[in-house]
Amino acid sequence: MLERHIQILVTDDPGPEGPAATRERLKGHFPPGATRRMTTLGMIVGHALSRLEPAQDDAIVYATEYSESRALEDFLDSFPTPSPTLFQTSIHPSAVQQLMIGRQKAIGEFMPLSGGALLAFHALRASMTSACERVLLCGGDETGTWLLDHKLASERAFGFAVALTRSPGPGTLGTVRIVQSEGDGSLSLPQLFDLLHKRSGFDGMVAPGWRMSLEWR
Amino acid sequence: MAGHCPPIRLVACGCITPFGDARETCSGLAEGDSALRPVPLLGRMGGDLVPLALLGGRALDDTCPPAWLAALKSLGALIPGEGWGTPRRPVFVTGSNFGVGGLYALRRFGDPSFAAWGAPPTCTEQVRRELGWGPDVSIVSHACVSAHLGLLQATRVVHAGLADQALVFSFDFLSPFVTGGFHALKILNSDFPAPFRERASSSIGLGDGAAFAVVSREGGDWIIDGQSLFNEMHHFTSNRSDGSGFEACLEGVRSEARGLKVWVKGHGTGTLDAGRLEVAAVSKAFPSAPIVGWKGSLGHTLGSCGLVEMAVAVEAMRSGIAPGILAGAGDAMSPDVAIANFTTGTYDGVVCASNAFGGAHAAFLLRHA
Repeated sequence: MLERHIQILVTDDPGPEGPAATRERLKGHFPPGATRRMTTLGMIVGHALSRLEPAQDDAIVYATEYSESRALEDFLDSFPTPSPTLFQTSIHPSAVQQLMIGRQKAIGEFMPLSGGALLAFHALRASMTSACERVLLCGGDETGTWLLDHKLASERAFGFAVALTRSPGPGTLGTVRIVQSEGDGSLSLPQLFDLLHKRSGFDGMVAPGWRMSLEWR
Repeated sequence: MAGHCPPIRLVACGCITPFGDARETCSGLAEGDSALRPVPLLGRMGGDLVPLALLGGRALDDTCPPAWLAALKSLGALIPGEGWGTPRRPVFVTGSNFGVGGLYALRRFGDPSFAAWGAPPTCTEQVRRELGWGPDVSIVSHACVSAHLGLLQATRVVHAGLADQALVFSFDFLSPFVTGGFHALKILNSDFPAPFRERASSSIGLGDGAAFAVVSREGGDWIIDGQSLFNEMHHFTSNRSDGSGFEACLEGVRSEARGLKVWVKGHGTGTLDAGRLEVAAVSKAFPSAPIVGWKGSLGHTLGSCGLVEMAVAVEAMRSGIAPGILAGAGDAMSPDVAIANFTTGTYDGVVCASNAFGGAHAAFLLRHA
C-alpha cells in the first residue's frame, strides 16, 4: 500500500466563466506583464501551484489530458508561417513551466503526464513512488474551440495543486492511499478534481487492479 | 539533482531508426552513414529544404492510419513476454509529439478521421490496441527527456514491488507540425548538424525513432543506475549560461560512476551554446571520458531519443565499437569529443544524457551487470 498525506490543497473551478474572465480574475496573482504570453491553463494551474511555494527539493507531478488546447489551436492556424512562441507554449508541460520560469525556480524532479480514464491513478502512482519527501501533484485542463468539436480538448476548465507528504502533520487535511486489489475501475482527472474540490471521501477502484481511498480530517 | 532510485536490470531493449534496428543503426553510424536527407519543411506544402531522417518510404505528411504504425508494430513484436498493460506489468509510453501530425493534417486538410490519432491519449489508445496491451498504460510527455522519465517511473514501480516487470515504450515521428515549429525557432535550417563541433551557426536535424526497454529486478546483462533529473526553469528554449543545469544533473550520475571507466553518450543536437555547455559539464564530471553524440546522423528523435540512443549504446557495448561523431565538419569543442569510432571493451559503462526545452536535463549510467 502506498500512503501520502495532504498538507495543502488549492482548487479552481471556473465553472461557466469564460477564458477571458478567468484570465482577468487571476492576472493579479502574477507579476505585471507576465500574463500576456501565459495560457489560461498556465494561469489556472500556475496560480494553484504557486500557493504551494514549490522548492527545488520538491517533486512536481503534473497531469493534464489535453494541455494547452488554445495555444495548440492557434499554432496550427499560424501555418504556413508557424509562430515560434506558440510552438513553445503548445508543448505539453508548458503550464507549469510558465509559472516556474517566470519565478526562475529550478526543480529537480518534474514529471508531466497525460492520459485518459486512468490519468488520475497514474498521477497518484507517480506521486506516491517519488523519492521526494514532498510531492506537489497538480493538474488541470482548459477548454478548446475547434479541437473540442473533434473531442480533442476538454469540455471544462479546472485546475488544482495538492502538497503530499510521507508523514502526517498537525495541519494535515487528509490522507490518500492506493493499494493493489482485485477489481476494475477508472478515475479520470476531472473526477479526481471533483473529489478534491468538494473534499469528498472516496473508497473504490481507480484502475484495473488498483483501489484508492481518500479520507478527509 | 533528483530522481534517485536504486539500480535496475535492463532485461531487453531495442529501437528502430531509418537505419533499421539497433544493430543496423550502430553499424550505420560507425560506417559514417547519415540518415538525414534534405526534405521540404512542410511536406507536400513545400518550404525550405531541411535535414530530416524519415523511416524508409515514409513521407513527412501523415496518413490515416499513420504510415509509421507498421514500423511501430514491428518493434512491438520484439518485446519479450506477455501481459503488458496489466497491473503487474505496466507500460509507460513516452514521447513528445504522439499523433500531432494527424492534428496538423486534420486542420490543414479537413479529414476528420485524423482526430482518432490527434492527441496523446487518443494516439496512445490506438497504439495500445494495435499492440494488444491491457489498459495500464501511462503517458509521460516532457519533450526530449520524456523517455528518461518513463524509465525512472518504470524503475520505481518495480522497486516498490508494485510490478514484476515494466515496459517503457517511446516513439516520435516527424510531421510538418514539428518541423515547422523547429524551423520557426531558426535551429532547423538548410545546414546539416555537426554536434559538438565548432562552426559559424547552430543547426539541427530531426529524425523518426522508436524504442523500448523492459526493466526488472533480475535478469538481463545490463544495469541502469544513477538516474538523475534536473530542471533549470530558466528559459523555454535556452539553458543557464553558466552550465549549472548540466552539472547538477550529471552530479547525480557521477557519484554512481565513481571508480568506473565510462564513456558518455551526450545529447548533442548541433546547437552551439548547448553543445559547449554540455561538453564542458561532461569534461568536468567525467574527466577524459570520450563524449559522442549521434544526432548529426540520426537526427534528433525528440521524445524518444533517450531510449533510441540507449539501445544504440547497448549495441555499441555489445559489439565493442562505439560510433564517433563522424557527421559534419569543424573542430571538436574539446579533446574529449570522440570524432572517430573507438573500442568499448575497456569501459565499464556509458553515461547516457538527454536535454529538453525548459532547461530539462536527464541522465543515467548504463553498466555491465
